[in-house]
Amino acid sequence: MIKSEQTIFQRRVDRANRRARFLITIGGYSIIVSIVGILLFLIYQSLPLSFKTSMKDLLIVELPLRVNKTQLIGIDQYQEISYFLDDKGEAAYYSIINRDFLTRDSIQLEDGEKIISPAKGSLNKEVFAVGTDHGRIITSEIRMNPRYQDNRRFIEPSLKILDTFTVALPPETEVNHIEKIAFCQNEDGNLFWSWLDHTGNLHLKIYNSEDDISFDYLLTEYLGREKVSTLTFSYDGEKLIIGSQTGELFWFDLSDEEAVYLRQNWKSSQFAITALAFLIGNSSLVIGDQTGLIEVWFPVRDENDQFRFKPIHQFKEMSAAVIQILGSPRDRTFLAIDETGRIQLNYSTSNQTQLEFKKSDYPVVAASFAPKADGIILLDQKQKLGMYQLKNEHPEATLKTLFGKVWYEGYIQPEFVWQSTGGSDEFEAKLSIVPLIFGTLKGTFYAMIFSVPLALLAAIYVSQFSPRWLSRIIKPTVEIMAALPSVVIGFLAGLYFSPLFEKHLMTLVLYTFILPLIFLLSIFLWRLVPEEKRMRVPMGWELLFVIPVLGISSLAVLGLSNPIEVTLFSSNFKQWLFETSGQNYDQRNSIVVGFALGFAVIPIIFTISEDALSNVPNSLSSASLALGASRWQTVRRVVIPAAAGGIFAAVMLGFGRVIGETMIVLMATGNTPILDLSPLNGFRAMSACIAVEIPEAPVGGTLYRVLFLIAFLLFIFTFIINSLSAVIGDRLRKKYARF
Amino acid sequence: MVVNIQQAVSQKTAGFLTDEKIVIETLNLFFYYSSDSPALKDVNIIIPQKKVTAFIGPSGCGKSTLLRCFNRMNDLIPGTYHEGKVLIEGEDINKTGIRLERLRNKVGMVFQKSNPFPMSIWENVAFGPKVNGITDNTDLDEMVKSALIQADLWREVKERLDQSALDLSGGQQQRLCIARALANKPHIILMDEPASALDPISTGKIEETIDELKNQYTIVIVTHNMQQAARVSDYTAFMMTGEIIEFNDTRTLFTNPDKKLTEEYITGRFG
Repeated sequence: MIKSEQTIFQRRVDRANRRARFLITIGGYSIIVSIVGILLFLIYQSLPLSFKTSMKDLLIVELPLRVNKTQLIGIDQYQEISYFLDDKGEAAYYSIINRDFLTRDSIQLEDGEKIISPAKGSLNKEVFAVGTDHGRIITSEIRMNPRYQDNRRFIEPSLKILDTFTVALPPETEVNHIEKIAFCQNEDGNLFWSWLDHTGNLHLKIYNSEDDISFDYLLTEYLGREKVSTLTFSYDGEKLIIGSQTGELFWFDLSDEEAVYLRQNWKSSQFAITALAFLIGNSSLVIGDQTGLIEVWFPVRDENDQFRFKPIHQFKEMSAAVIQILGSPRDRTFLAIDETGRIQLNYSTSNQTQLEFKKSDYPVVAASFAPKADGIILLDQKQKLGMYQLKNEHPEATLKTLFGKVWYEGYIQPEFVWQSTGGSDEFEAKLSIVPLIFGTLKGTFYAMIFSVPLALLAAIYVSQFSPRWLSRIIKPTVEIMAALPSVVIGFLAGLYFSPLFEKHLMTLVLYTFILPLIFLLSIFLWRLVPEEKRMRVPMGWELLFVIPVLGISSLAVLGLSNPIEVTLFSSNFKQWLFETSGQNYDQRNSIVVGFALGFAVIPIIFTISEDALSNVPNSLSSASLALGASRWQTVRRVVIPAAAGGIFAAVMLGFGRVIGETMIVLMATGNTPILDLSPLNGFRAMSACIAVEIPEAPVGGTLYRVLFLIAFLLFIFTFIINSLSAVIGDRLRKKYARF
Repeated sequence: MVVNIQQAVSQKTAGFLTDEKIVIETLNLFFYYSSDSPALKDVNIIIPQKKVTAFIGPSGCGKSTLLRCFNRMNDLIPGTYHEGKVLIEGEDINKTGIRLERLRNKVGMVFQKSNPFPMSIWENVAFGPKVNGITDNTDLDEMVKSALIQADLWREVKERLDQSALDLSGGQQQRLCIARALANKPHIILMDEPASALDPISTGKIEETIDELKNQYTIVIVTHNMQQAARVSDYTAFMMTGEIIEFNDTRTLFTNPDKKLTEEYITGRFG
């Protein structure tokens, strides 16, 4: 009877054990699973950054064109209809879906007139100018307007002539050929033409649409003996670049249409410049020469504060003369096409050649990007049309741009810059993570030099020296500090203490000198008191002496700060600081952040190290004391080494906390992503950067993914730190704490 | 200053100590852990120089407390206080202005449980001299060696002085603690049940060590083990409930105790 009762009881205990073990196991594993899940999600979101650019054939077809020579091609944004403009001025529309020609339009040419030079004039419109062998320049636009009917989309192409003019005949000639032409229609609707006639004269015509006036220039004289080989406008019509047969380049500044002048003339190659194009943003100029050299140049401020084109990036050389360069309408990608039909897809900012291909054995006669830069259309000499889908989603994020120095447009040298968004689509995203990592480390550094000594000394005092009633108050109080939401600390630091610091900067600086001075002085005075009397102070009550010392130094500082500032620093310390060190005092600076972050981690470091110190067995300190060691010797030589593992873990945990801390750095740093160690200015931490930018980052975009990459890096940082603290802490504990 | 026996007039049990010099003397010592009841009641005892004096008695009788009064280790326990006097070499150790470090340098202590520092053997032994201001390494080497020799540990550890003390066996650790106390060149060594956590062989070694040390040091030992007291000590005090019941030379106390309580205790009727 009793036996069976016992077995029942035993069974019940077993069952409870099993259940408990099951639940605990589930709990443990689910934590591991969720952490791995987070890690995988971060990787999943940021991995596409590393995907290579890819291209897919959408359509390859031999066109049954009756016409002779196609001069220009283009495609609508949905990649449904493309147009072909031939040298007779006929525009044929081709439906890519039906693989058939639709309607036609025509630029009305005269009898026997032929187009000999075409030029597109915009990145986001199909507007172009063509020069004919009758000396006429015809400017037109092809619109591909979508129309919706029965929930279906139809693209309705149409051609519209914008302007036609006949070039003045050079003296003693009967006909005029427009040999080469460049054209631009800028956002204000102003038109710019520059052309080379068959007598070798270079002309410029600017039409101001607002005032309806034209300006004509003859630029030949500026070129000296150089023969024009190619020419291009920037898309805003402010720059005209002429390339010569001998590798010379000329920059004409058109920003004042009434006073066009040659701004810079330089030699970029030993050979003829054969292709020129600006990239979006109107700053980067891609130059291709006869030997296949491809370079990106942009204006950089020189020593005399003058903008000068400078060579920035050099791309992989092509095997033959570069005949065409096409800038992407969306980003700083460009196509370079050489004589043999070889094509390179390059990205300017990252200086990377993303694709290199050859789709046909014959030279390319016309090429165009799709309006969204997600496709390329190519036509070769044998009328073979190729349409290719382009997957080039994150060209601006490469290892080099994320972690290396990059020479951005407008900068005087390669730099680490984080500036993810700008005012317009033409903005060159600067995605260097280095300033953010630096910011995080800088914030951590200032926070740690503030909090570690304070927290550790407090822990030592509370665990080893203070009277028991005092530690009973201090410890919970410090622990309550940990409960303070970091947003409150950040708010106080950013909005209350920063201005206060700035206002009383002199006082604070003075404090850092006077307080230790008065402390040393008072310790010296204290030593003058006879030993007999000193011994009477019970241990831990020395605290009482700190209060008057603090009081005296505060009074001294308050009294002295104003006179000192007036006499020594010509009554403005900040100004003096700026003039002597060149350091500007930012209101949101690393000192304030260091205090605030330090305040947030002091409880962690304090609590854990205090526990570690208190857990050092009494037998050890007793042994030390019994050997005649003083209290301080005991603490320094026995207790602290024995608690080293715990103290190290405490500091590392604090470190991990600071690295991941977001609200305080967000609110109190000013979030300026600069690379400057000075404590007088702010920084931008990785965590704050994520918090600031993720709401505005388009999902799936480069910035979005880069932010996830930053999150991944943060994860790795904290993971490494925590693992290190565990491993090293464990080793220290094994070494010192086997009692 | 060594006080002559004649000066310790109040000591009733002192008759057998006529030929000894006194190093420790307590006068009407009361000790309180809290204000409720004294842990030591009116203790008057004299400890002779360069002899082994043992305190025996049942658990909680106050023998360890008394021992710890001699180097003021009781100070570490908050809320304790005492009445009466403790004189060591004639000096009142509780008077203000006494440097505890100097007192403890003179009165070494070995604890019940061996408590070597988590450092090397050398560091352990050199700790005392170091904190007392000796920095010269050759001096320290010399002190470490002589202390280890005295504690009978030198032969076993001389090859591995830089290894962690925590790698030693329990008995070796306790002898290391003795060596550590000896390195300070104390006058008095207090031993608080130094062998209670050790096996019989290690205990034997400790006892041999004590035997060798008593020529140079005054040793006060607290022990639970009456055989041990009988083996190692010259004089024995039997304590109960905070009082010294009987203090006599060891042979007399164990063979012919004055008090009935003593007899009952040593014959094992309680304890």
